[in-house]
Amino acid sequence: MKAKLHAQLQAQIKKLDSISAAPAILKPLLDMLRLPSDKIRVEDVVELISYDGSIAAQCLRLANSPLFGRRQTETVRSAVMALGLERVRSMLFGLCMNRIIPQDKWVIAPDAFWRHSLGCALVTQRMAQKIEYPEPEKAYMAGLLHDLGFLVNSVLYTGDFRECLRLAAEQHAPLHVIEEQVLGFTHCDAGQMLCEHWGLSTELVDAARCHHDVSLLPAAGPLACLVHLSDLLCRTRYLGYGYDEIMGVDLGSDAAWQTLVTTYPALENMDLVRFTFDIDGAMEQIVATVDAVFGAKSIAAPVTT
Amino acid sequence: MAVEIARAKPAVTPDSNPGDPAYLKIRDLTYRISGIYHAEEKLYLLISRCARRMTALGVASPSEYLEHLTTRGNREAELRLLLNEITIGETYMFRHPAQLDALRNVILPQILQVKGLISLKRLRFWCAGCSTGEEPHTLAMFLLEEKDKLLAGWTFDILATDLNDNSLEAARAGIYGEYALRNTSDVLRRKYFKDVGGQKLQANDLLKAPIHFDRINLSDDSKMLFQKGIDVIFCCNVLIYFDLASKRRVVQHFYSNLLPGGYLFLGHAESLFQVNDAFRLVHFLGTTAYWKPTAAQAAGAKK
Repeated sequence: MKAKLHAQLQAQIKKLDSISAAPAILKPLLDMLRLPSDKIRVEDVVELISYDGSIAAQCLRLANSPLFGRRQTETVRSAVMALGLERVRSMLFGLCMNRIIPQDKWVIAPDAFWRHSLGCALVTQRMAQKIEYPEPEKAYMAGLLHDLGFLVNSVLYTGDFRECLRLAAEQHAPLHVIEEQVLGFTHCDAGQMLCEHWGLSTELVDAARCHHDVSLLPAAGPLACLVHLSDLLCRTRYLGYGYDEIMGVDLGSDAAWQTLVTTYPALENMDLVRFTFDIDGAMEQIVATVDAVFGAKSIAAPVTT
Repeated sequence: MAVEIARAKPAVTPDSNPGDPAYLKIRDLTYRISGIYHAEEKLYLLISRCARRMTALGVASPSEYLEHLTTRGNREAELRLLLNEITIGETYMFRHPAQLDALRNVILPQILQVKGLISLKRLRFWCAGCSTGEEPHTLAMFLLEEKDKLLAGWTFDILATDLNDNSLEAARAGIYGEYALRNTSDVLRRKYFKDVGGQKLQANDLLKAPIHFDRINLSDDSKMLFQKGIDVIFCCNVLIYFDLASKRRVVQHFYSNLLPGGYLFLGHAESLFQVNDAFRLVHFLGTTAYWKPTAAQAAGAKK
């Protein structure tokens, strides 16, 4: 990207900090996102959640929802145990981002955005497990965070980004292609900078930076390749950005696939059709989770602690 | 988690236990034999199909039913009956709109571009295993609706074949009730059907014109070799009844039957995994298909 644009965007990202008060738990939460989940202590998570009354309430509500078998969960600790660290972590992150971004700045509908992000997180993790990538947890995080740049563009370039989404929906085209035309940069550039600004690991930064650019993928490493493939798969299974894209993707010939196969030969033997049906099966769960955490009903529900 | 979801679904019959590992074995068995797959979250569908067979047989537990499918003398017949249950109700018009969207948005534009270069403006479709004709009639409606748009200047025909004479006779008659037409709009009903009483509609001449029905056994090598120059093949829930060796042979025939750049569609939960390596799997919005790329397309995709 042109150096001038880069500097401009970077200055704008710094402004993000002052746009709205980030919840106090964001900083410790980001620290926690960098750890594999077996390094996280349940007590720390419980403490973090208990800081914030409304987040604690949402956590309990989710744990008590029919999705998780309507357990009678009354403490934050048992809610965390019921939901599992992975889910709690991504839910906390989602709630934080929802707090940071003013309601009128959401360009992509929040539920579409989180369905795609959580969907991609799950698919990246499952694919990582299938190919025997050693750190599936990290793959989950890379999937969860890969599209953060959309939030940057929503907040800092609201009007122009809204136009991008309108054009992309009208043309059934990939959003990053339209971003390039209208903004001169994409959510990949913006996401890279936000991830760097937050001090996330190089691999997570690269996943955000490279997931749409097949020319960068071979050098970017396995995580970026996995995220690229998961992103494509999710978009073909109606977990896109809230509009129907025209797509025809030969994943086996994709540069990311070809790169991964050289290091992870298990990919060659992966039953991709079966994997796709498994995603469809898991999709109901993703949609239900997103609706429970971010859906209109849960936002409107009274907060009780 | 998946197990939790499965447990949350209402039990199908009083004696069916969705958590029973025998169902996973039945799932894996039907996938291995037929290529039809049930994700764990969709297992309740398989369980309800098994329940019907178990009731018919008077079998009490899924593990006992698994024996009927694996070790009893009549296992092959029973497997066939279960597959019949699994695919029952699969045939109505416009059953898979995602396939038609893929045709309209990606596949046909691609094929028209490749074939337009050689000025032979003709398209051939084949519904292999057309049963009672819902699929070829759907395809014919779709293509007729595109006649003046996407397909302006092109001609097309649909070969619709089946092994079963009774099915073919019904397909030729083209008389359908409300179930088969549940996804067909009033506009299309008026345009392509006539009322034949008894709440039935019959395909009119306009709709029948592009379809040519024929009896073909997909295992008949000499007849399969004869089919040439096809652009798109639909073969939904047919290969599931074939053993692996026959399946391989049929799919290899399909590959030869197709022109370079052509596509093969299967039923929506079917897979060719470990059946054929020549076809390339392509993901479209909400559906997948198998592709025989032209030499130029293959080189382009690998770059």
